[in-house]
Amino acid sequence: MKIITCIKVVPEEQDIVIKADGELSFDRAKPTISAYDLNAVEAGAQLLEECGGDFIALSVGSGGIDNPKLKKNILSRGPESLVMVADDRLKDLDTHQTAKVLKAAIEKVGEYDLILCGEGSSDLYAQQVGPQLGQLLNVPTINSVSKITQSDGKIVVQRTLENEVETLESVLPALVIVTSDINLPRIATMSHVLAAGKKPATVWTLEDIGVLELFNTIEVIDTRAPQQVERKQDIVEGDTDEAIQEFITKLSTVLAK
Amino acid sequence: MSIMKIERKRGEGMSNEGFDVIVVGAGVAGNVAAYLLGREGLQVLLIERGNYPGSKNMTGGRIYSHSLEKIMPDFAKEAPIERKITREKVFMMTEKSSIGLDFQSSLLGTHGSDSYSVLRGVFDQWLAEKAEEVGVEIVTGICVDDLIIRQGKVCGVIAGIDQIESGVTILADGINSLLAQKAGLRKEFKPSHVAVGVKELIELPAELIQERFQCNENEGTACMFAGFPSDGRIGGGFLYTNKESISLGVVCTLSDLIKGQKALPQLMEDFKTHPTVAPLIKEGKLVEYSGHLVPEGGVEMMPKIIGDGVLVVGDAAGFCVNLGYAVRGMDFAIASGECAARAVSKAYQGGGYSEGDLQVYRDYLEESFVLHDMKLYRNFPKFLETTPRVFSDYPKLLEGIMTDMFVMNGQPTQALVKTIMKHINKVGVLKITRDAWKGVRSV
Repeated sequence: MKIITCIKVVPEEQDIVIKADGELSFDRAKPTISAYDLNAVEAGAQLLEECGGDFIALSVGSGGIDNPKLKKNILSRGPESLVMVADDRLKDLDTHQTAKVLKAAIEKVGEYDLILCGEGSSDLYAQQVGPQLGQLLNVPTINSVSKITQSDGKIVVQRTLENEVETLESVLPALVIVTSDINLPRIATMSHVLAAGKKPATVWTLEDIGVLELFNTIEVIDTRAPQQVERKQDIVEGDTDEAIQEFITKLSTVLAK
Repeated sequence: MSIMKIERKRGEGMSNEGFDVIVVGAGVAGNVAAYLLGREGLQVLLIERGNYPGSKNMTGGRIYSHSLEKIMPDFAKEAPIERKITREKVFMMTEKSSIGLDFQSSLLGTHGSDSYSVLRGVFDQWLAEKAEEVGVEIVTGICVDDLIIRQGKVCGVIAGIDQIESGVTILADGINSLLAQKAGLRKEFKPSHVAVGVKELIELPAELIQERFQCNENEGTACMFAGFPSDGRIGGGFLYTNKESISLGVVCTLSDLIKGQKALPQLMEDFKTHPTVAPLIKEGKLVEYSGHLVPEGGVEMMPKIIGDGVLVVGDAAGFCVNLGYAVRGMDFAIASGECAARAVSKAYQGGGYSEGDLQVYRDYLEESFVLHDMKLYRNFPKFLETTPRVFSDYPKLLEGIMTDMFVMNGQPTQALVKTIMKHINKVGVLKITRDAWKGVRSV
């Protein structure tokens, strides 16, 4: 089976600093794998172990994703090779353009059986790219998948919905969007990390994959953290009727404003 | 160190074939050793337990530049240092007062003998990048659990399910070096040989720091406090100015800490609210809280630093000197990393890493300041241990004299000599003379 897992590269969340004026500073935030995509990578790694084949990681984003530590990080988690479309024109791309670029990259990679995506990105969490990519590739697309098994050129998946779990069978090629509880992403061992440095990583530009025009509909003007509201620190203590009455009075005064 | 380059084929099947050198721990000692050996053309693997080099490291705050300067001339121009320290303050402190010495001098900033406040989280990463640039393979987020030992010779490391072989292994895994213990080089610590420190990183705008500490842009102050911060026990408080933050902390010797009433976090809280300290950190934002052990036993606590196929460097070797007015650890770590690299390089050319081949490590340490200074100050930890008055009676003594000198309340004043003698007699002239003599001799 030939598997491609799509990965979004996001700034390391814990290193994003909120400045006094609410502006976000990404200076110290290094590029890392979007948390939900770790599950898609792990799902690919497990399928590869079960049925062999080929497992490629694919990411598109601005030039900054072409980062040696990040590449090693991705490749230490199971993929046998990595393909990146790293181009500064891909910054702040809308979901449709992202899906379009991914499609072009996948077509350049060639034949595939299964595309895996995470349920959303850990920064914007639009949950759009996976379904749109499936549509553009014109392959069966299933989301909310919490289990994948394969047999005879087909896959059987469990799709976890609010009140039920569907079991679906699909022909290949297909695109599957996994949930964050499908698996527990592995922690790379030392030999995986060492091996990752020797795995092939290819970096393409937009021209390389034949995307000559982008029609981005989004322009990011500003990103700011919401203003912190000062706590009133008005604490009513005790459980007497008077205390409760006082609490209610205070609450209703505030709500009436 | 020789600049001979040895051309070797890199990148193929290294995990199977093993490495010339494995360095465990990417603190300053490990990074420097790896960097120098990588530069020599050896195949070096540097393994760090934290997610990035420096993530598990902690310093009070200052690096004396001389030893790194020797290896990377003008490093301070490029490295992420915080401020050049151009002002030194030492305080004796009681609950209500502090009596200080303020030394500001351009002599403190002379190239080659200057010192800088640093934050290890960024500094060690930079140093590791230098090592990576010369071909060192760095693996982070991996904890080395054990050593491969065959017939008493260390042959590599074990991490989880992986075993990686090496000609020689350098242990730079910090003060509580479990690997040195596993290699049979070190026993458990004595509580009197280690101190525990806590540090808060308090964020303040650069201009405000410059105002409060009366310093220029990019320049800063180091302050040491004896007495109150450690509640009269062996230890002290420290303060270093960074670019946009202040490193503030308390260190206390473990054996002495357990004797007191206050736990370390409480000491830290009280220190922060002391009238001398509170205005310095006012309106600051706490952005980091950390704690770490500090090797303070001197040569007494030094493990065996050379074994068959193994060397111990930095904190793991106990290389640190705390004199109260100055604390030195990183310059020792860097110099020991350099000595280890030179020894390994020599042994590599000689063709073997037996205990005998690696003995040159000790020779290099003897030639450098590392063992010289460790030996010179060998009695100082003992002096502090046997002279608790330094941390309790003397700050009070000074407070008494100063109060009588400066507090005017209309009462008839006594002659200055009488005033001073009154306070000195409380402790005893003989004791003071003896302590002074012991103290001076131990440094």
